[in-house]
Amino acid sequence: MVGNSGEMVSVRGLYKRYKDLPVLLNLSFDIPKGSIFGYIGPNGSGKTTTIKIMTGLIRDFQGDVTIEGRSIRNWNTELSSTIGYLPQQTSLQEWRTVDQSLHTFGRLSGLQESEVSKRIKEVTEELGITEYRKRKVNKLSGGTLQKVGMAQAMLHRPKLMVLDEPVAGLDPESRVLFKNLFRQLSREGTTIFFSSHILSDIEDVADTIGILGQGRMRYIGSMEELRERVGRSTEVRLETVEPLLNDSVLEIIPGITRVERVADNRFHILLREHGEMDAVVDRLIKAVLAEGLHIRAIHPNRQSLESLYLSYTDQEGSP
Amino acid sequence: MSLWLLFKDELNGFYRSKVMLALWVGLPVMALLLYFLVDDIEGIPLTVFTGLLVSSIGGLLTSVLIVVNILNEKEKKVYDLFLIRPIRRENLLLAKFGAVFLCVMVASFIAITLAAILDSANEGYDIGSILTSMKDSLIITVSLMAINCSAGVLIGVFSPSVLVGVLLVLFGSNQLSSLVLIPMISGWGEMWMVGLASIGISALLLFGASLVFRRKEF
Repeated sequence: MVGNSGEMVSVRGLYKRYKDLPVLLNLSFDIPKGSIFGYIGPNGSGKTTTIKIMTGLIRDFQGDVTIEGRSIRNWNTELSSTIGYLPQQTSLQEWRTVDQSLHTFGRLSGLQESEVSKRIKEVTEELGITEYRKRKVNKLSGGTLQKVGMAQAMLHRPKLMVLDEPVAGLDPESRVLFKNLFRQLSREGTTIFFSSHILSDIEDVADTIGILGQGRMRYIGSMEELRERVGRSTEVRLETVEPLLNDSVLEIIPGITRVERVADNRFHILLREHGEMDAVVDRLIKAVLAEGLHIRAIHPNRQSLESLYLSYTDQEGSP
Repeated sequence: MSLWLLFKDELNGFYRSKVMLALWVGLPVMALLLYFLVDDIEGIPLTVFTGLLVSSIGGLLTSVLIVVNILNEKEKKVYDLFLIRPIRRENLLLAKFGAVFLCVMVASFIAITLAAILDSANEGYDIGSILTSMKDSLIITVSLMAINCSAGVLIGVFSPSVLVGVLLVLFGSNQLSSLVLIPMISGWGEMWMVGLASIGISALLLFGASLVFRRKEF
């Protein structure tokens, strides 16, 4: 299978189950070259499984994943050199120092002896961990260890970086450092695929996001598109000064599909479509005034980004 | 290239580990203790007796060391960062086997040499007898250690927990390694048979471990 020349990764019909538990169900998506793809979903939704399939750590699955047109089923030196991987928790052999770990990973990734030292110096400087280079990895804090993990992932200048929850557990300063690094690497042409279960972690850095829920891709598109969806409200909240006792006054208004009474004078009104918002609100005001009542408040109920994300990942699926 | 690099790395890690430190010091001390504490070892030269004891106790410890090491690294997902790189999976195991085996062999050699010196100084054995004893001791030690190390690798790869792994070492690898001594003890076999059998068994165990490791999902 040869992928589109504009795609770094192409995932097609991915299906994976652990014994009786299906984790990924016909998952398909593409990652454009040079993009920052934020892969988001709740805990246990299959993000790590997807990542482990992409990095060749899980080999028993259905479907296919191609990286620059090469199927990962034919895992080879060229493919593994293309990828830089940061696992959810960076685990290194405890007796090694940071330098020893990075040296081994650099050499195993195909860097020459002369180049390894130079690259270790560069990446440790970029990540602000130069002072820890001679320290044993079991003496490092979680955040520093995560940075060492990031260093080994970018050491051999991979074209694709697959990062599993890279900013989880980092302090705010390190989060900013990582996000800036993602932007910089992306500008240099590296494709970044990173997962998170927190929307705010990805919204200011990812240019494409994929929302995973119950093993399926519930949403894929740009962050702007998602924000636009948030703006497209189809619900109006109405509060009158006096009680409105007869719901049918509102229900008969064209463009309204449902009226939900919250209190005697408060209603949630569901519209047929977002485009009719202005006309329906106009009719609504006229109908209430015609009943001789006064309006205290009327406004569209905008969904927050978080609630939209939750509606994508809940049990029922897409909103 | 990757096997050599991994081997050097593992060697670097093992030879300074606390367990190895115990073996570096412990095995030669064992030879000394035997000399001072045991009056009569039924006419067996101290060199040979030390070889038997060192390979038995050292083999058991080494086997446990490998099992615990592999299980810990598996559990902590240390292998993930190696396996995504262009290396043969089995090289990780072979490097570990090679490094541990070399370390314990050096420790055993020191112990056996010390025993040979004591034999030579106190029992008046001639140099020919001493060298023969040393050769026999080393063959026994190399054979038993090789089987223990390779069994440790196999058990470490497929064992679900440290407890199960240690039990399998106690009731499996130690007994298995003793089997190769039967032809020699019963008097119908030669020393070279012990060496040959141990090479065969070790190769088989390592092949099995590689096969399981290659198919393992991490």
